[in-house]
Amino acid sequence: IRKLKRREAVVSTQSTGASEARPVALPVRKVIIHPVALFNIVDNYERRHDNNKRVIGSLLGRYDKGVVIITESFAVPHQETEEEVSMDMEYAMRIGELQKKVNTNLYTVGWYSSGIIINEYSSLIHAFYKCQCPTPVHLTIDTLMTNQKMKINTHITLPIGVKNGTEGCIFTPVPYTIQGAEAEQVSLKFFQQLRGSKKTPNFNDQEQIINCCDEMISQIGVVLGHIKQVLAGEAPADKELGRQIMEVVQAVPNLESDTITNMLNSHMQDLLAVEYLTYLTRQQLAVSARLNQIL
Amino acid sequence: MAAAPKHSPQLFESIEKVEITSQVIMKITRHCHHELEKQLDPNVNGVLLGLINENKHTLEVTHCFPLMNSDTDEGMEINREYMLEMERSLRQVNIDYQQVGFYQSTYLNTHCDRNFLDSVFDYLEEMNEAIALIYDPLKTKLGNLCIRAFKLSLAAFELYKEDKDFTALMLRDKSLTYENLFKEIPVVVKNSTLTNVLMCELDKVQDNTSFFTLPTSSYLEKSMQLLLGGLDEINQDLQKLNMHQRAVYKQQTQIMKHVQERKDENAAREKNGLKALPEEDFSKMFKPPPPVGRLESLLSANRIASHCEMIEEHVKSGIGKLYLADSFMS
Repeated sequence: IRKLKRREAVVSTQSTGASEARPVALPVRKVIIHPVALFNIVDNYERRHDNNKRVIGSLLGRYDKGVVIITESFAVPHQETEEEVSMDMEYAMRIGELQKKVNTNLYTVGWYSSGIIINEYSSLIHAFYKCQCPTPVHLTIDTLMTNQKMKINTHITLPIGVKNGTEGCIFTPVPYTIQGAEAEQVSLKFFQQLRGSKKTPNFNDQEQIINCCDEMISQIGVVLGHIKQVLAGEAPADKELGRQIMEVVQAVPNLESDTITNMLNSHMQDLLAVEYLTYLTRQQLAVSARLNQIL
Repeated sequence: MAAAPKHSPQLFESIEKVEITSQVIMKITRHCHHELEKQLDPNVNGVLLGLINENKHTLEVTHCFPLMNSDTDEGMEINREYMLEMERSLRQVNIDYQQVGFYQSTYLNTHCDRNFLDSVFDYLEEMNEAIALIYDPLKTKLGNLCIRAFKLSLAAFELYKEDKDFTALMLRDKSLTYENLFKEIPVVVKNSTLTNVLMCELDKVQDNTSFFTLPTSSYLEKSMQLLLGGLDEINQDLQKLNMHQRAVYKQQTQIMKHVQERKDENAAREKNGLKALPEEDFSKMFKPPPPVGRLESLLSANRIASHCEMIEEHVKSGIGKLYLADSFMS
């Protein structure tokens, strides 16, 4: 893939020639991708027309001091053959504006394509996106799964070449992390529970607690196992790990057992009282509903 | 948009479950939480797109997009244009563009009011299988994803069509109580295989959920406050009903008194040999007071019931967590 990049690097596009009037490219050090955008891309890939081997679309998000945060994505219709590529730029700009109206701090920050190939068409499309934002991020996601993995790559372009001679741009990789808002993590965790299984998800609170407890027990087991190994001298003792374990153990507040039992009991009483009251209310409602029927 | 909407009870009852892809849930989650951070008023809603699978009696929701908060008329106009524009655009990229319902976020189950009923009714009129997805962001923050699908029951739908404000007689006819006002439809999350592969890739995503928070007082307090508010509303409604009954009774006695007077007068006149006065039609003179609408009380009852359910669930898991904390500390 590196060879491909170097070969295509010296493609000079029309728009880079007229680059004097554009704003200075902002430095991009890191990319944070929200899982929603990735789900969108995969869904888009599954719905493509049969004659397209890959799909492209815009990425929406915001830019924050050297970090690009990608929060959404949408598909853009495009055709690609051996000789030429065409994409609906009007569509991209129109939908970008629409999204900006509804979600006020989302603007185009780049574009994505499925498949890991980056070729001259990519630089053409990238040139279009350079008009939309100063430093577009190009995200590729390998939906064809070469190497048995769905690899994600993020790139930005940097200009290379000789000034006043052949200029071009090269796609350089940028480190990325996949991280979502807290609620997204919860839903993600939820979906992973039913990954590969056919059973319907259970939104019940108590089942969730049981699952979390099981997880916690297994995690504690792993930590305990490691500690035993260190004590027995089999594994090297890591100071950092030791300090973290100590922090966890000390997180339990050190109170007298009397105070603890009192606190817990009073809390328990509050909860039970509330439950009794709600039960009572429900019975009353049921009675009134039946009465309404009779009257 | 379509031809004259067919309204048949079979279509109404034909949906047994709703299948959602995780992409839709993530988009709803993102939109609701984004709005929640900006302001506390959770009037967040959007449109669901998808298709109906008649063989399996399921409604598949495959896409969604958010709508702006439209309290003003021009806001609604913008929303309408936006929806048309999105529909056209989505058709170009092969995404299902048929609207199958709407989603809304709720604050501790307070979504159940007149506006909600109106929206559900509108969607149901256009398409008999439409659903409303309710998403609870606070509960998800506490660690448990909460998405439920509702639609009006058939009886409620027919009643609402005839008259926007139910009367007690109508309710009794259709045996409609607050329990069968809305019907809940089970929600299933279904992913394609490629999405499952993506999830395997995302396995390394960190998970910092605050799932084990003890049952904090603020959540419980707010729920109780809302419960009390709901009870107040029902009380007010009961008082209105009482007043109405008293007015009807008073009027009845007035009518009877009037009839009696007429009879006496007529008897007196006959005795004196004069012509009897005609018995007027009293119902025209005394118009009966208008019947009290029972819709608000039904909605309040529904709200209270759902609050109670929520509190009960919260308390049950809370007791479990308390015991867990106990085992850690002793």
